[in-house]
Amino acid sequence: MDNIITVRHLRVHSRDKTLVGPVSFSLEPGSTTGLCGPSGAGKSTVLRALVDLLPNGLTRDGDLQVLGRTIAPGKGDANLRAKVVLVPQTPVVFGGSILDNALFGLRHVLRAPRKVLRERAEQALHEAGLWKEVSDRLDAPAHTLSVGQRQRLCLARALALEPAALLLDEPTSALDEQSRDTVEKTIAALHGRRAVLLVSHDPAQVERLCDTIIRLDQPTATSPTVTVS
Amino acid sequence: MSTSTLTRQPITPDPDTRPHPSKWIWGWLYAGASSVAALLLVLVGYLGTGVGSGEVDWPTLLTESAWSPASSVYGGLAMIYGTAVVCVLALVLAVPVGWAAAVALSEYLPPRVARPLRLCVELLAAVPSIVYGLIGIIVIRPVIARLADVPGGDSLVAAGIVLAVMITPTIVAVSVDALAAVPDRYREAAFSLGLTRREVIRSAVLPLARSGMRAAVLLGMARALGEAIAVFLVVGRADGRLPTSFGSFLDSLVHPGQTLTTKLAGPEPVLAGTSGPHFAALCGLGFILLALVAAATFWGTRGQRHSTTAKRTPRYRASPRMRAQRDQLAKTLRLGALLLPSVLLVGMLALLVTRGSNAFHPSFWFTSATGAAGGGVRDQIAGTLLLVVTTGLLSLPLGFGAGILIGVHASTRTARLLQTLTVVLGGVPTILLGLAGFVILSTAMGWGRSWLAGAIVLVPVVVPVIALSTAARVRSLPSELKESALSLGLTRAQLIRSVVVPYAWPATVTGLLLGLARAAGETAPLLFTATVFFGAPTLPSGIVESPVQALPTHIFTLSQDSGDPQAVAQAWGSAMVLVLITAVLLSAAVALRNRFEGERWTT
Repeated sequence: MDNIITVRHLRVHSRDKTLVGPVSFSLEPGSTTGLCGPSGAGKSTVLRALVDLLPNGLTRDGDLQVLGRTIAPGKGDANLRAKVVLVPQTPVVFGGSILDNALFGLRHVLRAPRKVLRERAEQALHEAGLWKEVSDRLDAPAHTLSVGQRQRLCLARALALEPAALLLDEPTSALDEQSRDTVEKTIAALHGRRAVLLVSHDPAQVERLCDTIIRLDQPTATSPTVTVS
Repeated sequence: MSTSTLTRQPITPDPDTRPHPSKWIWGWLYAGASSVAALLLVLVGYLGTGVGSGEVDWPTLLTESAWSPASSVYGGLAMIYGTAVVCVLALVLAVPVGWAAAVALSEYLPPRVARPLRLCVELLAAVPSIVYGLIGIIVIRPVIARLADVPGGDSLVAAGIVLAVMITPTIVAVSVDALAAVPDRYREAAFSLGLTRREVIRSAVLPLARSGMRAAVLLGMARALGEAIAVFLVVGRADGRLPTSFGSFLDSLVHPGQTLTTKLAGPEPVLAGTSGPHFAALCGLGFILLALVAAATFWGTRGQRHSTTAKRTPRYRASPRMRAQRDQLAKTLRLGALLLPSVLLVGMLALLVTRGSNAFHPSFWFTSATGAAGGGVRDQIAGTLLLVVTTGLLSLPLGFGAGILIGVHASTRTARLLQTLTVVLGGVPTILLGLAGFVILSTAMGWGRSWLAGAIVLVPVVVPVIALSTAARVRSLPSELKESALSLGLTRAQLIRSVVVPYAWPATVTGLLLGLARAAGETAPLLFTATVFFGAPTLPSGIVESPVQALPTHIFTLSQDSGDPQAVAQAWGSAMVLVLITAVLLSAAVALRNRFEGERWTT
């Protein structure tokens, strides 16, 4: 099977300076790949470059292929982002209920009867390991959830899209130890079923969860910056 | 946990299966944004037909003081002088008081007291200028007449004082906002270094609030420059008065004069028609006025960059006792300055309640006027409400669209340009809007006096308020929220529909109510376009030649007849009604703002 994402010599620039890279790696179906490095190395920036959500003023070059399609810089569209879903570091919930949140992406992307959408959202809540905790209060406001639960809700609404790949940006950085274990269990359960690119500053966590590890260092002109172990 | 997801294919969304692509959103946003540009263009275009006709004699307009349409001499220098004097007077009186009162309100008073006072100041800032004009007639003119032996008391100094009274609340309100935006940790840090309150304010708070407080002054200055009606009632409108020496300069202050706005609000624009040298000269005056106001608003919105802290090194170290004394002195002065707006508030309320006692009879609200002699103001209330509602309906989609477009493109150059254009449009003197409406809608399009023309010329008053308030709210939308929505595969149009609009609409409605509160009290735009003093039906039945009666213009006409006690009583009664309508709109806006400001939307 083809790689879901293939990146060759990806670099991200600000106006006068290279911030990240060059980076080369690929993401295979069902694999869990870790992306780690010191803070400031540009881990989150790489994730954003993959779905063309770079902050204003940053540009990328290099070769990016997603699902066999070459994506030119600035040409990543909403349909691409519905297949390769980024889950940002801060667990943001939208106004509305828990179910509204689980449906949020899906109802904008898929034209289907409400019943079908709801089924898929509930499925996703199962998959994110949140179903047991919220099944009796799907209509409660989403901001009543704890931070750990919100993180899994963000995971669920991404999973509801049935994405080809999930890009997780430090999914456990805001959590206490117990919630972290729950989220890690959820991520581990995805192994073999969904491609996951996991950004983390915690080497131990990457060791625990990932089968491939990409290390990102501060960019320098001479040395190769990426080692795949 | 089910394993069926293993076999399920990823969704392959494509544009056809995407529900609610909401592409129309872009049409709406760009329509709103271009309406702002179009309104400005129309305005400049109207002035341009006069200015560009080549019939403006610029050297005469800028250097001669004599203005006489009968002998075709059009010199504008006396009016420019009048405008400058009136404005400078207003600023000299209003700025020290306004700033000191703002500091007192924000730094000295406990929040329990300051909060209701802030609300009162905002209310004062929203009181229609025609009401300030009435106060000028009743209170300030007699004082000047007694002091300077001027018959009637119409004078430049009276106009300056009226303007000062009018813009002080604006300066206080905007300055307090700037001071309140300084985070408390700065004060805390400075206090814990052993500074007195005066020193904390001077070295920790004011440097951060300075640009906002300067913007407050420029906003007040733009209001003073563009104000036509309040000045009109007290300035005397005497042409060609230009002093030649210092003695005659002082003398000119207590004598009648003319300003740019009062010339334009007089009968001449109607007499001048829409072509010829007279029309061209008036357009030239309008152009000068617009340029002055645009420069003031422009400098008010820029200059955030130049907030370098002034380096003042004390020549000697003040002894502890001196520091304490200075602290005490500053406190006394600032709290003293707060007295003035308070006196103004109480005095205005007392005047309105005692003189406007007519308004407390229900019959005043529900019967028609019978000339200046008596009756009620039912038709005027209906007319004002009709104008305000129509203006609101026209402005809401335009201002909402423009505001969201400015907000979502927070940092690009076009958005900044659009923001500046919106601010300038909001600062355009309303008398110019009225004249543009008169020339374009009433004359060129043949509508005559029409309620719809009145509602349309009020649109540029309301649209900027809605747009700026919406844009500020959209900009405060957490970027994580935007990113989360986009990374779930939403298109930008869907993002706006499902995230931005639901987040921003409370600010939009607040802006709408604030804008309508302003529009309800506008007199100058309606004078030539929409209203008559009597003889119009309660509600118009068509568009062409269908005038209405409205409260502000009703007060304006009555107050020019200030010798007649019956007319004055009617004017105050109508003013009371108008202030009540404005206050209701404003309180609704503030209530809505307070309700949604604390709302937590994310994380």
